[in-house]
Amino acid sequence: MSCQTMPDRAPYPAAEVMSAGAPTEVRIVAFLCNWCSYAGADKTGMNQLPVPAELSVVRVMCSGRVEPTLILETFQKGADGVMVLACHPGDCHYKEGNLRAFCRAELLERMMPQLGVNPARFYFDYVSAAEAEKFSQVTNDFVASIRALAGTDSER
Amino acid sequence: MNHQPKTAIILCTCSGIISEKIDWEKVRTQLAGHPDKPVVTTDELACGADNLEKLAAWLKEQGPERVVVAACSPREHERTFRNLLTAVGINPYYLQMINVREQVAWVTADPDQATRKAARLITAALQRVGHHQPLMERHVPVRTDVAVIGAGPAGIQAALTLARAGRIVTLIEKEPFFGGMPVRFEELFPNLECGPCLLEPGMGELLHGPESEHIKLLTLTEVTEVKGSFGNWQLTLRQQPRYINPELCIGCMICATVCPVRRENRWNCGGELAAVDGPFVGALPNLPHVDAGHCLKLNGRECGACLAECPVEGALDFNDTIRDSVVEVGAIIVATGAEELPVSPPVFAGRDNVFSAYAFERLLAMTGPSGGELVKGDGSAPASLAIVQCAGSFDDVVTYCSGTCCQAALKYAHISAAKREGLTVTRLIREQVVAGVNAARLFNHDHSHVIRYRGLGDLTVAETPNGRVITCASSGTQIPADMIVLCGPTVPSQGTAQTARLLELGVDDAGFIAPIHALSGSFLSPLKGIYLAGTCRGPGDIREAFASGTAAAGVALSELVEGRDLAVDPQVAVVDVEQCAGCKSCIRVCPYKAISWNEVAKTADVSDILCRGCGTCVAVCPAGAITARGFSRAMLRAEIEGVLS
Ligand code: SF4
Ligand code: SF4
Repeated sequence: MSCQTMPDRAPYPAAEVMSAGAPTEVRIVAFLCNWCSYAGADKTGMNQLPVPAELSVVRVMCSGRVEPTLILETFQKGADGVMVLACHPGDCHYKEGNLRAFCRAELLERMMPQLGVNPARFYFDYVSAAEAEKFSQVTNDFVASIRALAGTDSER
Repeated sequence: MNHQPKTAIILCTCSGIISEKIDWEKVRTQLAGHPDKPVVTTDELACGADNLEKLAAWLKEQGPERVVVAACSPREHERTFRNLLTAVGINPYYLQMINVREQVAWVTADPDQATRKAARLITAALQRVGHHQPLMERHVPVRTDVAVIGAGPAGIQAALTLARAGRIVTLIEKEPFFGGMPVRFEELFPNLECGPCLLEPGMGELLHGPESEHIKLLTLTEVTEVKGSFGNWQLTLRQQPRYINPELCIGCMICATVCPVRRENRWNCGGELAAVDGPFVGALPNLPHVDAGHCLKLNGRECGACLAECPVEGALDFNDTIRDSVVEVGAIIVATGAEELPVSPPVFAGRDNVFSAYAFERLLAMTGPSGGELVKGDGSAPASLAIVQCAGSFDDVVTYCSGTCCQAALKYAHISAAKREGLTVTRLIREQVVAGVNAARLFNHDHSHVIRYRGLGDLTVAETPNGRVITCASSGTQIPADMIVLCGPTVPSQGTAQTARLLELGVDDAGFIAPIHALSGSFLSPLKGIYLAGTCRGPGDIREAFASGTAAAGVALSELVEGRDLAVDPQVAVVDVEQCAGCKSCIRVCPYKAISWNEVAKTADVSDILCRGCGTCVAVCPAGAITARGFSRAMLRAEIEGVLS
């Protein structure tokens, strides 16, 4: 496995993109790997932490299953934002699917402007089975940021 | 899709926990207007035994083709509901579960929003199940025979453990003799137990005991090809000729005494062997072996001395040839071991009386080149001995600790001092690691001087009128060193490197075979049906070798049970051969080596036994030729469309 950049993610700059105004209904699809992130989402439920109602989870066995075309199709079908959440590096249930997902995410983010989609509408991160708080945090931040984008960019 | 299959939807209130947030009545009203006309039931606690019975009756009555369950996490109850479907005669993979408890009811504050979200997810599931395919768990018989590669202590122990459980074992050893390293060590740390004495009962049992009926020991044999997967491996073996008939030879070694040829004894690090000979007294099996490179007769010259003197007709067999064979087994235990990397730093190069740890081990042995006498090359007694520990470890040659050289050095110091009264022994250490209750015994009897040095570059050697002296540049310490032992790093054996390549097993930074988990799975390779024992996994002592041999055999016994078939999960990847463009991208990315290349059809081929259904190959296939059953593109698309509708 090799990748140009280190698989670390900066926290999502929610504060910067968030703007005041009435909440807008947005449609967010989150692809979660079965073993870490989906389990993390379950744990978020057990801990009764908030997850935005706009978020729809699509369970996949491994984040490495989610190819960029599927993400682009999701946008095409009307999603306002797409998340891919994976196991932490080194913790992948399938050894290295998450790293492949990371590399693809990097590439996709670079391609998105050329395809007319604002890369801010896509978010990749690692969420472990134990990280309920992180799951709640990143989903809320992302949805808030997408809501703030509404009207600021007409293209998707 | 022209025919929308009739779908039954089970809405679970989870004893009110889910319905506290989600208004199932509202959802039902909405579903009543759904064009697919699903049948819907609400249940108090769908996973409860009584309720499952009621649900079974309801499903039988409704006769749906697909089922959607909106309840808790599929990670918890997917199996429960799959069983329910099976019980009523519906294919268990016609199920889709929606997690409305953990991921909706418990995380959404507003009941209205929660209800809408649940309805959305159910719509998506309704759409998804239309694309579900009936899948069947496949059962395949497994072989319970096992191949063990490497007949050192770990391999011997594994073979014996398996044979005692009645398993047929093929024990493969590339040397003409077995027992691995410690059988050549006369005294073992910490109790100075005799290595051959410790190992020989097991070796004898393996050759002649009741277990021998179950174990086929193949010496001079290497694995040349491995095919197959868990439960069904095929190993191609190549056995070099020994030119000795093991059935007839009585091991008298008269042949060796009359053979006119002499060659170096590489097992003994010194001394000589005849062309037909055994490496040292007590080596097992008790048979000589003809070195084809040195034997005159095999090189077209006039000889036959051994044949003339051998008391048994036919024991020497110069018509012996290479034997190729195939063994079919259910599991493979890799016990190919490690070796000492002989270091020869420039300061010591070319000097006499400098030994590697292994050569020194043999020098101290009664069966070694000097008959166990501690003597210098010229036969004289040394006045001083310097043992350089960590010679090449900790960044000089390798970055890590070899784990056993402190033990060995303590042992050498002890035995040498006992052999030569008045001998000055100095141990040069970088670190000292001798853990364990028993280790203290030798540690407390250590009379050697201990000097800390900073790596091989810190040392210089000078011959002085008063004998040889090592100087430690960093501290200026001078160490008398008539004899020098360099305890080199422990590195993977050639057999380990070769076997790792052959089995396509990953290796760690040092080249040892990487287990699936360093702590909790150190006997397991990432490939099911291949287990690891002994120092092929990294440095370790004989105790570790015995323990890991037993452990690997135990895992093989627990995973390959006579009469218990292997249940193959049907949710695996499949290649559409019509679509496959033959780019082989998928073969490269599969973490489980589940995809092979079909030479005849020129397409990729997924083994459902090895595939774990991650879908990585699906995502890379540029031709879209691979489908992840249970998570196909069509299913995911339907689900995505559903949640966005
Ligand atoms: S990636 Fe697709 S096209 Fe390429 S070999 Fe594999 S199945 Fe065939
Ligand atoms: S789904 Fe995963 S495990 Fe199965 S063949 Fe594809 S890459 Fe290998």
